[in-house]
Amino acid sequence: MNDVLAKTEEIVKKAKKLGADEIVAKTTFGRYRQVRFSNNQVDTTVVWNDYSTDVTLAWKKRLVATQIHNFAHVDANVKQLLALAKVSSKNPTFGGFAKGRFPYAKSSADEKLENLQSLSEYVLEAIEAAKKEAGGKAETGGALFTKFEDVYLASSEGPVGVDKRSAIELSIRAFSQREASGHGVECASTLRDFKPSRAGEKAGQIAKLARNPKAGKEGVYDVIFDPLTFGSLLGVWGGMLSAFSIMVHMSVFVDKLGKRVAPKIVTLRDNPGAYSMSNRVFDDEGAPTKENVLIDKGTLKTYLHNASTAKMFKTKTTGNAGLVSPTPWNIEIDGGNTSKNELFEETEKGLYLTNTWYTRFQNYAKGDFSTIPRDGIFTIEKGEIKNSWKDLRLSDNALALLGNITAVSKESQHVHWWLFDMDGYPPSLSPYVVIKDVHMTKSK
Amino acid sequence: MDETIADFALEYAEAKKVEYAEVRAHSHVLELLILRNGVLEAYASAVNSGFCVRILTNGGIGFASTNKWSKEEAKTIVDLAFKYAGSTNRREKLVFAEEKGVKTKWTVTQKKKIENVPPEEKISFFTDAHKALTASKVKMPATMMQCSVDLATKYFVNSEGSRISSFVPKIGAYAFITVAEQGKTEQAYKQFGYSGGWEASREWRIPEKLIHEAKVLKDVITKAKAVKPGDMDLVCGSEVTGIAAHESCGHPMEADRILGREMSQAGRSFIYEGSQFWVGSKIGSEAVTVVDDPTIEHSYGYYMYDDEGVKARRRFLYKKGVINEFLHNRESAAKLGTKSNGSSRSVNYDREAIVRMANTFVLPGELSEEELIEDVRHGVYMKSFTEWNIDDKRFNQRYVGREAYLIENGELKGPVARPVIETSTLKFWTAVDAVSKNVGFDAATCGKGDPAQGAPVFTGGPCIRLRGVYVK
Repeated sequence: MNDVLAKTEEIVKKAKKLGADEIVAKTTFGRYRQVRFSNNQVDTTVVWNDYSTDVTLAWKKRLVATQIHNFAHVDANVKQLLALAKVSSKNPTFGGFAKGRFPYAKSSADEKLENLQSLSEYVLEAIEAAKKEAGGKAETGGALFTKFEDVYLASSEGPVGVDKRSAIELSIRAFSQREASGHGVECASTLRDFKPSRAGEKAGQIAKLARNPKAGKEGVYDVIFDPLTFGSLLGVWGGMLSAFSIMVHMSVFVDKLGKRVAPKIVTLRDNPGAYSMSNRVFDDEGAPTKENVLIDKGTLKTYLHNASTAKMFKTKTTGNAGLVSPTPWNIEIDGGNTSKNELFEETEKGLYLTNTWYTRFQNYAKGDFSTIPRDGIFTIEKGEIKNSWKDLRLSDNALALLGNITAVSKESQHVHWWLFDMDGYPPSLSPYVVIKDVHMTKSK
Repeated sequence: MDETIADFALEYAEAKKVEYAEVRAHSHVLELLILRNGVLEAYASAVNSGFCVRILTNGGIGFASTNKWSKEEAKTIVDLAFKYAGSTNRREKLVFAEEKGVKTKWTVTQKKKIENVPPEEKISFFTDAHKALTASKVKMPATMMQCSVDLATKYFVNSEGSRISSFVPKIGAYAFITVAEQGKTEQAYKQFGYSGGWEASREWRIPEKLIHEAKVLKDVITKAKAVKPGDMDLVCGSEVTGIAAHESCGHPMEADRILGREMSQAGRSFIYEGSQFWVGSKIGSEAVTVVDDPTIEHSYGYYMYDDEGVKARRRFLYKKGVINEFLHNRESAAKLGTKSNGSSRSVNYDREAIVRMANTFVLPGELSEEELIEDVRHGVYMKSFTEWNIDDKRFNQRYVGREAYLIENGELKGPVARPVIETSTLKFWTAVDAVSKNVGFDAATCGKGDPAQGAPVFTGGPCIRLRGVYVK
């Protein structure tokens, strides 16, 4: 495979020779597998093989990009790209790609995920675990996804690197009744700690608890967010911390650097670490990825940057480069001192939301939005789950929710599912979290 | 795209013990321009091509794709699709609803071919739009615009003798603006989409529409008042009518959702066999007829044949307030004992074709918009929306007004700040007592599928009047 790196480097050399100022080429050979199931049966198994080289080039502050799928076409593709740059227009704020030769951490990808056999067995294990909890008549659906990527990067500005990236995730939703469901996910970068039955059990347990739901009541509640639900919020905040989101005002964090945005118990990080589904050793311009503290004990410390936005903000890249917009890789919030059980026990009256979807904003800068809890919605009274509710909407403000976090559990879960992809959220390491004064609304 | 490789893949698949096989090849010539505050951030241009094989055998489906065009690779992915199709071990064997093979070619015409428009012209079109916007003198701390081009060539062959070639050029644009006044902000986005050539760029009237939005947002900050919550009449503009048609009619009428195929991701539907809601059930007033129609020329969701080679046609989803016809692909149609109505779409060669909407809209009535409003004593005219969402059974929805006005005694009064309707599908469509005669369309990107497939669609309809709904 060093041959692929050599060919990737060759693209950089050719572009430089033709007059490009800066160029980054990244070749990815990806093998992706997915099993989709519903009504307790496999519907389809999907396999994708994808070969591509992403090329981003700057010429006199004109930034252009292309994708090459066949190394035989490199000469023509690079010439076309440079020609496009020459008729393109200047971006005066473009500050260049990451510069320097960097040592990278060793990839921790799991070679077993390159061509994993018997995918359906993992699915069946999860289905059985869900049915064991929710009852033999429970209906389940979901997907198992595996990824294995070989990545080769070369940049005219110094970075050269090879990475392997692997991931496996299982998402299962169980229905004990038509309107009583639970959702579980199991996500990992390797097979080592991957336990499909864990996702099935959780989906089944929530589905069982959710039986015979009654219409929920509007009001203001203390809410315990399940890791899956809180993962959606982490995705919202993570996206809003991209420097590009700041520049286009699609963020509640504009002009908030150095300011208090959350209580002291909140420390938020971006960390594409070894456990994460989005584990990687370098970003899309070859800067080493690292753990970045974004909110430190409630105070906003940094936005997410590539080399160019970092220059605009007079700081250093955080290793989150995308072509234009820096991207969060994996959002974490530090665990607290309280156990999950204690969080529930200490909640006198409140709600427990196990999942959500369809998060939409009126105004990103102001933060007003709503999202719709799905699967189990439970009332909590004197520390215990009491009733199953349905048909509620969380209608609140993204900054207010962050500011109203009152407790964070010790236990965390690595979460990601389909909705995160739909809404552009990264995976996250998410604990159980209590937020006070959350506004819930319903249809009238 | 190399059609001979696709043909080879089909022949290789047919030599195996398959019940059905198809090969779908795509080539997408893509462009993307991103502008921030009127300055080009980046210009991306690429060709993305590849092919997929879908095999039905032993009652199971296997799907494999690649972007490597070689016979060796074709064999590899056919072998994979065949292996996985055969190993599903389903209790209920899958079958596809019957179709006859089709041999045809179809294309979308362009008055001004996108491929002949130089990049400089595309860039200057959007930088000029931004200049016009800033000339409006409304304070805007940030704007973002995007333009996307997709020249899609497809080649579809299957074991039933179909051989369909097509070419569809699509152009899309997106603008997001932030207006600041009195220390407050308001935001809006507009999306544009067209199947055809660069002529769309003029027809969209982007500068005029964005200037209008900017002034509306300024008025929302400086003049608008909150509505006093309560039961009142609500007149929805075509943009609001369209999103409601898409969310609370189109989506719940997707047969794969009804059958549970999307139960873990996009969700299920409030419509299911044995429930209060099935074909023939009342879901709205007689004034409500919602259709989905891929055959509207130059629409963003236009196609002549779907991605299973089935001829497209108009589907009457809710007809005079009654649940009438689901959206089907061949798999869902077979399960419900009917025929596909050509609703199977895939956004690329590496994505499974699934049940999708195309252009979903409410059919027009007889009245003018003025007549709808004249007959309202107290209410709100919600011309456009900002935040919206709906639950995954597609029954509880919420639309928040972007441009909205108070109606008093049949006359439009001042702007209303962010009025909200949060109601059920049944209440929404049952409350409609009249629809206007002019239909408007908006481009949108519909999300569904795992992995996600953002499908270009139109949403639309006339103005509709809802009686006595709760607005806050």
